[in-house]
Amino acid sequence: MTATDPRPGPPPPFDPELAPALRVINEFLAPGAFGDAGAVAMMRQAVPNAGQPANETFARGGAFEVEERTVPGPAGAPDISLLICRPAAALDPTPAIYHMHGGGMVVGDNRTGLSEILDLVKELETAVVSVEYRLAPETPHPGPVEDCYAGLVWTAEHAAELGIDPERIIVGGASAGGGLAAALALLARDRGGPALFGQLLMCPMLDDRNDTPSARQMAGLGVWDRSSNAGGWSALLGDARGTDGVSPYAAPARAADLSGLPPAYIDVGSAETFRDEDTAYAGRIWQAGGQAELHVWPGGFHGFDLMVPQAVISQDARAARTRWLRRLLAA
Amino acid sequence: MKDLTVRLDALDPQAGAALRVIAYFDDLVAHGAGLQAIVRAAAVLTAGPAALVDDARRVRIRVDGDGHAGKPSDAPDPAWPSVRLGSGDAVLWLEYSGPTRPVDAMVLERAAAAAAAVLDRTRGRRANPPQGPASVETLLDPATGPEARATAARRLKLPESGQLRAVALHGGDALVHGDPDGAADALPEGARAGIGPAVPVEDLPASWTAARLALRLTAEGTPGDPGPRVVHADTAGGLMLLAQTVGPDTPRIQDVVALERAAQAAPWMLAALDALANATSLRAAATALRVHHSTLQERAAHAERLLGWPVNDAPGRLRLHLALVLRRLHRAPI
Repeated sequence: MTATDPRPGPPPPFDPELAPALRVINEFLAPGAFGDAGAVAMMRQAVPNAGQPANETFARGGAFEVEERTVPGPAGAPDISLLICRPAAALDPTPAIYHMHGGGMVVGDNRTGLSEILDLVKELETAVVSVEYRLAPETPHPGPVEDCYAGLVWTAEHAAELGIDPERIIVGGASAGGGLAAALALLARDRGGPALFGQLLMCPMLDDRNDTPSARQMAGLGVWDRSSNAGGWSALLGDARGTDGVSPYAAPARAADLSGLPPAYIDVGSAETFRDEDTAYAGRIWQAGGQAELHVWPGGFHGFDLMVPQAVISQDARAARTRWLRRLLAA
Repeated sequence: MKDLTVRLDALDPQAGAALRVIAYFDDLVAHGAGLQAIVRAAAVLTAGPAALVDDARRVRIRVDGDGHAGKPSDAPDPAWPSVRLGSGDAVLWLEYSGPTRPVDAMVLERAAAAAAAVLDRTRGRRANPPQGPASVETLLDPATGPEARATAARRLKLPESGQLRAVALHGGDALVHGDPDGAADALPEGARAGIGPAVPVEDLPASWTAARLALRLTAEGTPGDPGPRVVHADTAGGLMLLAQTVGPDTPRIQDVVALERAAQAAPWMLAALDALANATSLRAAATALRVHHSTLQERAAHAERLLGWPVNDAPGRLRLHLALVLRRLHRAPI
């Protein structure tokens, strides 16, 4: 987007059910809460990982076997941890979702958002592998995405041991995790890595340039506004953020070629920073001859379905993902 | 992220909770939330099922604590907290039977107010027949909100701007006429009716009140109950004030007692007196009654003896006119 673009109109209204919840959320999570490095340190304390669910929670009363594995990281880097949830009743190798958590590249761990992924696959006899990647700013690009890739390669190579069908691995995640999933699809294509079956990109964080109409339109509003987005990308890329040299494996919107990718599922709220970069990504996949399913949820703020799961629009957003996954896996 | 889930039990349970509940429902209303969203808010904020039932409008909504919508049971357990919406039959309840929680009453109150506003806005006053008595009733009910009133006017194909008249028909039915000058012409043939003043749509309840008063001034138009079958509130003048205050239980004044006594004396009496009171002359009254004027003159003399006052001068005719009107008002239910 250039400076000659007409100014965007007023922000689209938030969904009626999401608006009152957003007021409460904003009391402890301001739209620009991740705007600078000092704020990130505070947010890590405010969203402590100690509050994350234990393995028993993910076991869902025995429906899943939960195991934590330490596996080799990228060359020359520390080992990484994978939290592996396998359907306990499965006899044959199952499909798997290889999951990267959200948190703007700066907060969260591999338990963040995992419950929602298990909800998604619970009737589909599908395993979930959630990778613990190092966070920015301590670990800048390419550390986080290379951690994720290393875990993906290990998972594909050890699929038989894990009871996973290596031809049915779907990468997925929300927000920063969605951006990492899109990046893994590009990396796997470009390096001749594991053949991926799909990419599940939930409100993905794709574009470090942070200058779309929606980014400007929603500044100061919702969750993860333009200022938080600048903070997240700066933590990952430092001074390179927004410059010509940014790698598509850091910011997939930078990829010149979106052909040859696995089928994509992309969803996003109409009232969030990422709306335009996410819809543009779907458009470019189609233009490249690829397959993508795009859902724009009217009046949704960033992560609305995770933060306000009871709202009817959240129920519909989750149901749409399940239907896509069911269709994909039935193929 | 699940930690961020909005639950009231995670919120400040003291003073802050009430303000949050108020802000929560205010936001819902401000963003045009529908009934299910309001019931869902009640369910989510109290972490248990909530339901709204309004049989008259065919509304039956139940939402559980996780936000999933379904059908409610027929009637709430009496032990559950519940509240009625406005003056209607709609009821909103929480499926909770533990110890009293102060926030329940606050949630019910705010949710009921929000739901009542939505019902008024979207469902009118009754389950939605495309036309018919319910829409007329909506127009005439002072409790109807502006949106529901406009909807009802559209359903009846009435102009939303411009003058309308409410019409009260004998027997209890109501009409609304869009052509203020033609209200009487458009009446069902032979109808006995009171016609209200021409008003903008938002003042129809007042026109209806006047129409019902005017109806009390009408008569069957028969020898036993002579008088006009149609009365316009616009032209009834001070008689409207009498119609407002005089009913079956009002004590009869002496003139009315005398009139009733005279009416017993001859079958032609009331019709003759009505004609005399309303006509400009005895000759004109005789023409209206289709009797010879000398006959009417004899009857007038007979009536004067029974009544005790003359009917051939203006004060006497006014006294007679008022006695006839009062007699009708004593006979007309309020």
